[in-house]
Amino acid sequence: MSTIEELVLNGAISRIEVEMTKRDQPLRLLYGTPDFIEWLATLTSGAEPKTRLGQATAAEQIDQLFYSYLSGMPLIHIRQFRCIRAERNAVWELKTPDTRIFGWFMKKDCFVCVFGNWADEIKEYDLYRGYRIAIRRLRRQLGVDDNLCVQGVNPFDVLSV
Amino acid sequence: MSFQFDIGSRARNAGRFIGRVRNELLRALSEKKKDGKLSQQALAKKLDVHRSLINRQLSGEANLTLRSLADLAWAMDMEIWFELKKPAAHPGQNEPVITSTLGYGEIKYVNVAVRRERVARGASSGEIVKSIE
Repeated sequence: MSTIEELVLNGAISRIEVEMTKRDQPLRLLYGTPDFIEWLATLTSGAEPKTRLGQATAAEQIDQLFYSYLSGMPLIHIRQFRCIRAERNAVWELKTPDTRIFGWFMKKDCFVCVFGNWADEIKEYDLYRGYRIAIRRLRRQLGVDDNLCVQGVNPFDVLSV
Repeated sequence: MSFQFDIGSRARNAGRFIGRVRNELLRALSEKKKDGKLSQQALAKKLDVHRSLINRQLSGEANLTLRSLADLAWAMDMEIWFELKKPAAHPGQNEPVITSTLGYGEIKYVNVAVRRERVARGASSGEIVKSIE
Protein backbone atom coordinates (compact mmCIF):
# COMPACT_ATOMS: atom_id res chain seq x y z
CA MET A 1 0.00 0.00 0.00
CA SER A 2 1.62 3.27 -1.14
CA THR A 3 1.14 6.72 0.30
CA ILE A 4 1.25 10.00 -1.61
CA GLU A 5 4.44 10.90 0.23
CA GLU A 6 6.12 7.65 -0.86
CA LEU A 7 5.06 8.17 -4.47
CA VAL A 8 6.57 11.66 -4.42
CA LEU A 9 9.76 10.54 -2.65
CA ASN A 10 10.45 7.73 -5.11
CA GLY A 11 9.86 10.06 -8.07
CA ALA A 12 6.72 8.31 -9.37
CA ILE A 13 4.81 11.60 -9.22
CA SER A 14 5.69 15.26 -8.70
CA ARG A 15 3.57 18.13 -7.56
CA ILE A 16 2.47 20.50 -10.37
CA GLU A 17 1.98 24.18 -9.64
CA VAL A 18 1.05 27.25 -11.65
CA GLU A 19 1.52 30.91 -10.85
CA MET A 20 -1.38 32.08 -8.72
CA THR A 21 -2.49 35.66 -8.29
CA LYS A 22 -1.64 37.28 -4.96
CA ARG A 23 -5.25 36.91 -3.91
CA ASP A 24 -5.38 33.14 -4.43
CA GLN A 25 -4.46 30.25 -2.20
CA PRO A 26 -4.19 26.78 -3.72
CA LEU A 27 -7.26 24.85 -2.63
CA ARG A 28 -6.66 21.63 -4.56
CA LEU A 29 -3.67 19.41 -5.31
CA LEU A 30 -2.24 18.39 -8.66
CA TYR A 31 0.43 15.80 -9.40
CA GLY A 32 1.97 14.43 -12.57
CA THR A 33 4.08 11.48 -13.65
CA PRO A 34 7.55 12.18 -15.13
CA ASP A 35 6.27 11.44 -18.66
CA PHE A 36 3.39 13.85 -18.25
CA ILE A 37 5.69 16.58 -16.99
CA GLU A 38 7.86 16.00 -20.05
CA TRP A 39 4.76 16.55 -22.20
CA LEU A 40 4.01 19.78 -20.30
CA ALA A 41 7.53 20.96 -21.06
CA THR A 42 6.87 20.51 -24.80
CA LEU A 43 3.90 22.87 -24.43
CA THR A 44 5.99 25.58 -22.85
CA SER A 45 8.38 25.16 -25.80
CA GLY A 46 5.47 26.03 -28.10
CA ALA A 47 4.05 22.65 -29.20
CA GLU A 48 0.65 22.99 -30.87
CA PRO A 49 -1.86 20.59 -32.44
CA LYS A 50 -2.06 20.33 -36.24
CA THR A 51 -5.21 22.46 -36.25
CA ARG A 52 -5.89 24.57 -33.20
CA LEU A 53 -9.53 25.17 -32.36
CA GLY A 54 -9.25 27.38 -29.29
CA GLN A 55 -8.40 31.07 -29.29
CA ALA A 56 -5.77 30.46 -26.61
CA THR A 57 -2.60 28.47 -27.31
CA ALA A 58 -2.38 24.92 -26.00
CA ALA A 59 -0.10 26.06 -23.15
CA GLU A 60 -2.51 28.88 -22.25
CA GLN A 61 -5.42 26.46 -22.22
CA ILE A 62 -3.61 24.11 -19.85
CA ASP A 63 -2.51 26.97 -17.59
CA GLN A 64 -6.08 28.21 -17.39
CA LEU A 65 -7.40 24.74 -16.59
CA PHE A 66 -4.79 24.13 -13.89
CA TYR A 67 -5.34 27.57 -12.44
CA SER A 68 -9.13 27.04 -12.25
CA TYR A 69 -8.61 23.63 -10.68
CA LEU A 70 -5.94 24.67 -8.16
CA SER A 71 -7.67 27.86 -7.05
CA GLY A 72 -10.80 25.89 -6.25
CA MET A 73 -13.03 27.27 -8.98
CA PRO A 74 -15.95 25.12 -10.08
CA LEU A 75 -15.11 23.01 -13.12
CA ILE A 76 -17.92 22.25 -15.52
CA HIS A 77 -18.74 18.59 -15.62
CA ILE A 78 -18.50 17.01 -19.10
CA ARG A 79 -17.14 20.23 -20.62
CA GLN A 80 -14.01 20.36 -18.45
CA PHE A 81 -13.81 17.00 -16.72
CA ARG A 82 -15.49 13.63 -16.80
CA CYS A 83 -14.79 10.00 -15.98
CA ILE A 84 -13.94 7.82 -18.97
CA ARG A 85 -16.08 4.97 -17.77
CA ALA A 86 -18.36 4.67 -14.75
CA GLU A 87 -16.49 1.96 -12.87
CA ARG A 88 -14.69 1.35 -9.60
CA ASN A 89 -11.41 3.33 -9.42
CA ALA A 90 -12.37 5.23 -12.55
CA VAL A 91 -9.96 7.00 -14.86
CA TRP A 92 -10.79 10.68 -15.33
CA GLU A 93 -10.22 13.13 -18.12
CA LEU A 94 -9.54 16.86 -17.85
CA LYS A 95 -10.38 18.80 -20.99
CA THR A 96 -9.53 22.00 -22.82
CA PRO A 97 -10.64 22.79 -26.39
CA ASP A 98 -7.46 21.32 -27.89
CA THR A 99 -6.00 19.04 -25.23
CA ARG A 100 -6.97 16.12 -23.05
CA ILE A 101 -5.36 14.96 -19.81
CA PHE A 102 -5.94 11.50 -18.38
CA GLY A 103 -5.32 10.39 -14.81
CA TRP A 104 -7.11 9.62 -11.60
CA PHE A 105 -8.14 11.23 -8.34
CA MET A 106 -6.15 9.89 -5.40
CA LYS A 107 -8.42 11.77 -3.02
CA LYS A 108 -11.12 14.36 -3.46
CA ASP A 109 -9.48 17.47 -4.98
CA CYS A 110 -6.21 15.59 -5.54
CA PHE A 111 -5.58 14.59 -9.18
CA VAL A 112 -2.67 12.76 -10.79
CA CYS A 113 -2.01 13.56 -14.47
CA VAL A 114 -0.62 10.58 -16.37
CA PHE A 115 -1.12 11.26 -20.08
CA GLY A 116 -1.57 14.45 -22.07
CA ASN A 117 -2.34 14.61 -25.76
CA TRP A 118 -4.11 16.59 -28.48
CA ALA A 119 -7.88 16.19 -28.51
CA ASP A 120 -8.04 15.64 -32.28
CA GLU A 121 -5.44 12.86 -32.13
CA ILE A 122 -7.26 11.09 -29.31
CA LYS A 123 -10.55 11.23 -31.20
CA GLU A 124 -9.01 10.22 -34.52
CA TYR A 125 -7.26 7.15 -33.15
CA ASP A 126 -9.78 6.46 -30.36
CA LEU A 127 -7.13 6.33 -27.65
CA TYR A 128 -9.51 6.39 -24.68
CA ARG A 129 -9.46 2.65 -24.03
CA GLY A 130 -5.69 2.45 -24.35
CA TYR A 131 -5.12 5.29 -21.88
CA ARG A 132 -7.63 3.81 -19.45
CA ILE A 133 -5.92 0.43 -19.49
CA ALA A 134 -2.43 1.97 -19.24
CA ILE A 135 -3.44 4.01 -16.19
CA ARG A 136 -4.93 0.98 -14.46
CA ARG A 137 -1.68 -0.91 -15.15
CA LEU A 138 0.44 1.97 -13.83
CA ARG A 139 -1.56 2.09 -10.61
CA ARG A 140 -0.99 -1.62 -10.10
CA GLN A 141 2.76 -1.17 -10.70
CA LEU A 142 2.87 1.68 -8.19
CA GLY A 143 0.99 -0.31 -5.58
CA VAL A 144 -1.87 2.17 -5.62
CA ASP A 145 -5.02 0.51 -4.36
CA ASP A 146 -8.36 1.66 -3.02
CA ASN A 147 -6.76 3.87 -0.37
CA LEU A 148 -5.39 6.20 -3.08
CA CYS A 149 -8.27 6.07 -5.52
CA VAL A 150 -11.60 7.83 -5.35
CA GLN A 151 -14.31 5.20 -5.73
CA GLY A 152 -17.24 7.32 -6.84
CA VAL A 153 -17.88 8.50 -10.38
CA ASN A 154 -20.06 11.50 -9.70
CA PRO A 155 -18.55 14.98 -10.05
CA PHE A 156 -19.00 15.77 -6.36
CA ASP A 157 -17.06 12.61 -5.44
CA VAL A 158 -13.88 14.07 -6.92
CA LEU A 159 -14.24 17.84 -6.67
CA SER A 160 -15.50 20.02 -3.86
CA VAL A 161 -17.74 23.01 -4.61
CA MET B 1 9.74 17.73 -5.73
CA SER B 2 7.51 20.05 -7.70
CA PHE B 3 7.18 21.32 -11.24
CA GLN B 4 6.16 24.90 -11.94
CA PHE B 5 4.20 25.20 -15.18
CA ASP B 6 5.18 28.71 -16.19
CA ILE B 7 4.11 30.15 -19.55
CA GLY B 8 4.97 33.79 -18.81
CA SER B 9 2.74 36.54 -17.53
CA ARG B 10 1.51 37.78 -20.93
CA ALA B 11 0.34 34.34 -22.10
CA ARG B 12 -1.05 33.59 -18.64
CA ASN B 13 -3.10 36.76 -18.66
CA ALA B 14 -4.51 36.04 -22.13
CA GLY B 15 -5.33 32.39 -21.49
CA ARG B 16 -7.00 33.00 -18.15
CA PHE B 17 -9.06 35.88 -19.52
CA ILE B 18 -10.31 33.82 -22.47
CA GLY B 19 -11.10 30.94 -20.12
CA ARG B 20 -12.92 33.17 -17.68
CA VAL B 21 -15.18 34.62 -20.37
CA ARG B 22 -16.07 31.13 -21.60
CA ASN B 23 -16.71 29.83 -18.09
CA GLU B 24 -18.95 32.78 -17.36
CA LEU B 25 -21.03 32.04 -20.46
CA LEU B 26 -21.29 28.37 -19.52
CA ARG B 27 -22.27 29.26 -15.97
CA ALA B 28 -25.00 31.65 -17.15
CA LEU B 29 -26.41 29.14 -19.61
CA SER B 30 -26.26 26.37 -17.04
CA GLU B 31 -28.30 28.48 -14.62
CA LYS B 32 -30.86 29.29 -17.30
CA LYS B 33 -31.13 25.61 -18.16
CA LYS B 34 -31.60 24.70 -14.52
CA ASP B 35 -34.47 27.17 -14.27
CA GLY B 36 -35.95 25.63 -17.39
CA LYS B 37 -35.84 29.00 -19.10
CA LEU B 38 -33.42 28.42 -21.96
CA SER B 39 -31.76 25.50 -23.71
CA GLN B 40 -28.80 25.56 -26.09
CA GLN B 41 -31.25 24.77 -28.89
CA ALA B 42 -33.49 27.70 -27.94
CA LEU B 43 -30.46 29.96 -27.74
CA ALA B 44 -29.45 28.98 -31.27
CA LYS B 45 -32.98 29.54 -32.53
CA LYS B 46 -33.15 32.98 -30.93
CA LEU B 47 -29.87 33.97 -32.58
CA ASP B 48 -30.82 32.29 -35.86
CA VAL B 49 -27.63 30.22 -36.00
CA HIS B 50 -26.99 26.49 -35.99
CA ARG B 51 -26.85 24.80 -32.58
CA SER B 52 -23.40 23.40 -33.36
CA LEU B 53 -22.00 26.93 -33.62
CA ILE B 54 -23.28 27.77 -30.14
CA ASN B 55 -21.87 24.51 -28.85
CA ARG B 56 -18.45 25.19 -30.39
CA GLN B 57 -18.41 28.76 -29.07
CA LEU B 58 -19.23 27.59 -25.56
CA SER B 59 -16.72 24.75 -25.64
CA GLY B 60 -14.01 27.11 -26.88
CA GLU B 61 -13.68 25.39 -30.25
CA ALA B 62 -14.91 28.43 -32.17
CA ASN B 63 -13.75 31.98 -31.75
CA LEU B 64 -15.85 34.42 -29.81
CA THR B 65 -15.92 37.97 -31.11
CA LEU B 66 -17.18 40.88 -29.05
CA ARG B 67 -20.26 40.84 -31.29
CA SER B 68 -20.97 37.14 -30.70
CA LEU B 69 -20.39 37.59 -26.97
CA ALA B 70 -22.88 40.45 -26.90
CA ASP B 71 -25.36 38.38 -28.94
CA LEU B 72 -25.10 35.43 -26.56
CA ALA B 73 -25.64 37.69 -23.56
CA TRP B 74 -28.66 39.27 -25.26
CA ALA B 75 -30.15 35.89 -26.08
CA MET B 76 -29.77 34.82 -22.44
CA ASP B 77 -31.28 38.10 -21.29
CA MET B 78 -28.09 38.91 -19.40
CA GLU B 79 -26.05 42.06 -19.08
CA ILE B 80 -22.28 42.09 -19.66
CA TRP B 81 -20.30 43.91 -17.02
CA PHE B 82 -16.73 44.74 -18.03
CA GLU B 83 -14.15 46.48 -15.92
CA LEU B 84 -10.38 46.97 -15.96
CA LYS B 85 -8.78 47.34 -12.56
CA LYS B 86 -5.43 47.02 -10.90
CA PRO B 87 -4.59 43.48 -9.77
CA ALA B 88 -5.10 42.71 -6.08
CA ALA B 89 -1.83 43.63 -4.39
CA HIS B 90 -2.30 41.78 -1.13
CA PRO B 91 -2.92 38.16 -0.26
CA GLY B 92 -6.54 37.60 0.54
CA GLN B 93 -9.36 35.29 -0.15
CA ASN B 94 -9.86 33.36 -3.38
CA GLU B 95 -12.55 34.66 -5.66
CA PRO B 96 -15.87 33.61 -4.15
CA VAL B 97 -17.51 30.70 -5.89
CA ILE B 98 -20.92 31.55 -7.26
CA THR B 99 -21.90 28.28 -8.83
CA SER B 100 -21.48 24.59 -8.32
CA THR B 101 -19.39 22.02 -10.14
CA LEU B 102 -22.57 20.04 -10.74
CA GLY B 103 -23.69 22.23 -13.61
CA TYR B 104 -24.87 19.33 -15.71
CA GLY B 105 -26.33 17.16 -12.97
CA GLU B 106 -25.38 13.68 -11.91
CA ILE B 107 -24.07 11.00 -14.23
CA LYS B 108 -26.66 8.76 -15.84
CA TYR B 109 -25.72 5.11 -15.66
CA VAL B 110 -26.25 3.13 -18.82
CA ASN B 111 -26.50 -0.62 -18.91
CA VAL B 112 -23.97 -1.22 -21.68
CA ALA B 113 -24.71 -4.93 -22.03
CA VAL B 114 -28.44 -4.38 -22.56
CA ARG B 115 -27.76 -1.52 -24.94
CA ARG B 116 -25.40 -3.62 -27.08
CA GLU B 117 -27.89 -6.45 -27.25
CA ARG B 118 -30.73 -4.15 -28.31
CA VAL B 119 -28.55 -2.39 -30.88
CA ALA B 120 -27.59 -5.79 -32.31
CA ARG B 121 -31.29 -6.63 -32.62
CA GLY B 122 -31.88 -3.33 -34.43
CA ALA B 123 -34.12 -1.71 -31.81
CA SER B 124 -34.78 2.04 -32.07
CA SER B 125 -32.97 4.41 -29.71
CA GLY B 126 -36.24 5.13 -27.87
CA GLU B 127 -36.78 1.44 -27.21
CA ILE B 128 -33.20 1.02 -26.05
CA VAL B 129 -33.48 3.86 -23.50
CA LYS B 130 -36.82 2.50 -22.29
CA SER B 131 -35.43 -0.99 -21.81
CA ILE B 132 -32.44 0.32 -19.83
CA GLU B 133 -34.63 2.42 -17.57
